[in-house]
Amino acid sequence: MNHHFTLPNSGHNYDAKASKMGMWLFLYTELILFGGLFLVYMVYRSLNQDAFLLASFNLNVWMGTANTIVLLTSSMTVAMAISALQKGDPKKSIFLLWMTILAALVFLVVKYFEWSAKFEHGLFPGMDHFNQLPNGEKLYFNLYFFMTGLHGLHVIVGGIFIVIVVFKIKSGKVNKDRYQLLENSGLYWHLVDLIWIYLFPLFYLIH
Amino acid sequence: MKNQHSIEESHSEHITSYREHFGTWVGLILLTLMTVFISVFGADLRTITVATALFIASVKALVVAYYFMHLKYDPRIYRVLITIVMSLFTVFLIMVILDYLTR
Repeated sequence: MNHHFTLPNSGHNYDAKASKMGMWLFLYTELILFGGLFLVYMVYRSLNQDAFLLASFNLNVWMGTANTIVLLTSSMTVAMAISALQKGDPKKSIFLLWMTILAALVFLVVKYFEWSAKFEHGLFPGMDHFNQLPNGEKLYFNLYFFMTGLHGLHVIVGGIFIVIVVFKIKSGKVNKDRYQLLENSGLYWHLVDLIWIYLFPLFYLIH
Repeated sequence: MKNQHSIEESHSEHITSYREHFGTWVGLILLTLMTVFISVFGADLRTITVATALFIASVKALVVAYYFMHLKYDPRIYRVLITIVMSLFTVFLIMVILDYLTR
């Protein structure tokens, strides 16, 4: 009567494949979340083409371009961090992850200056200047603040996720043989980049 | 023990080289500069620039998904699933367009 149970993962609470699939399933929901917002944008823009065009002149193309380059670069460093850990070089991996976090901070600082400029001009929903705008331009700024705000929130979450991974690599919990958490944080970070790839032309480059 | 070993080795074997990551980055930066250039200097071709900007954005998104997100080297199921999700989104897109065109 010797009942001996063997867990499917041999008692190891780690399953890289399932973990990765779980992360991707979550990313699909994120794509649909932002996808829905892009549909709202598409409808309102087609109904208010001239207003959207006028309102978009309030954004600084060069700040948007700078932030695009910052995010693309951070996507490269996080991808390289995964390669580094796979090759058994945790120090290099940690360095590349700090570079990614630095890029996240640069992105947020640029966003801060962009948003501050809008606040100074009273363009945030509810402010004086905003209230006097025609409906189409109001819609543009509502969508601008909501979509870049939600994206900014994702930048913050992704940055925190990567900081957690850095400490797990330092303590050895994430290592050459168990790096799925690092890969998942990388996938999340690439998604943040992917969303920005669409936000940038739709808000900054429509003129 | 044998089983445990096989699970620890269940990671995909492929390791992307630094050179390939860098090459991907160069491509993405070039596409970004191209889309900015077209937008800033082609302002009078409005509808064309919007279509081009979205086309270039989609190329960039594919490059990020394929190379940075490792879809190129992942098992086929990941490419199948993302295709299903994007098809679903396309259905939503078409339904919204039809709704607004028929009002």
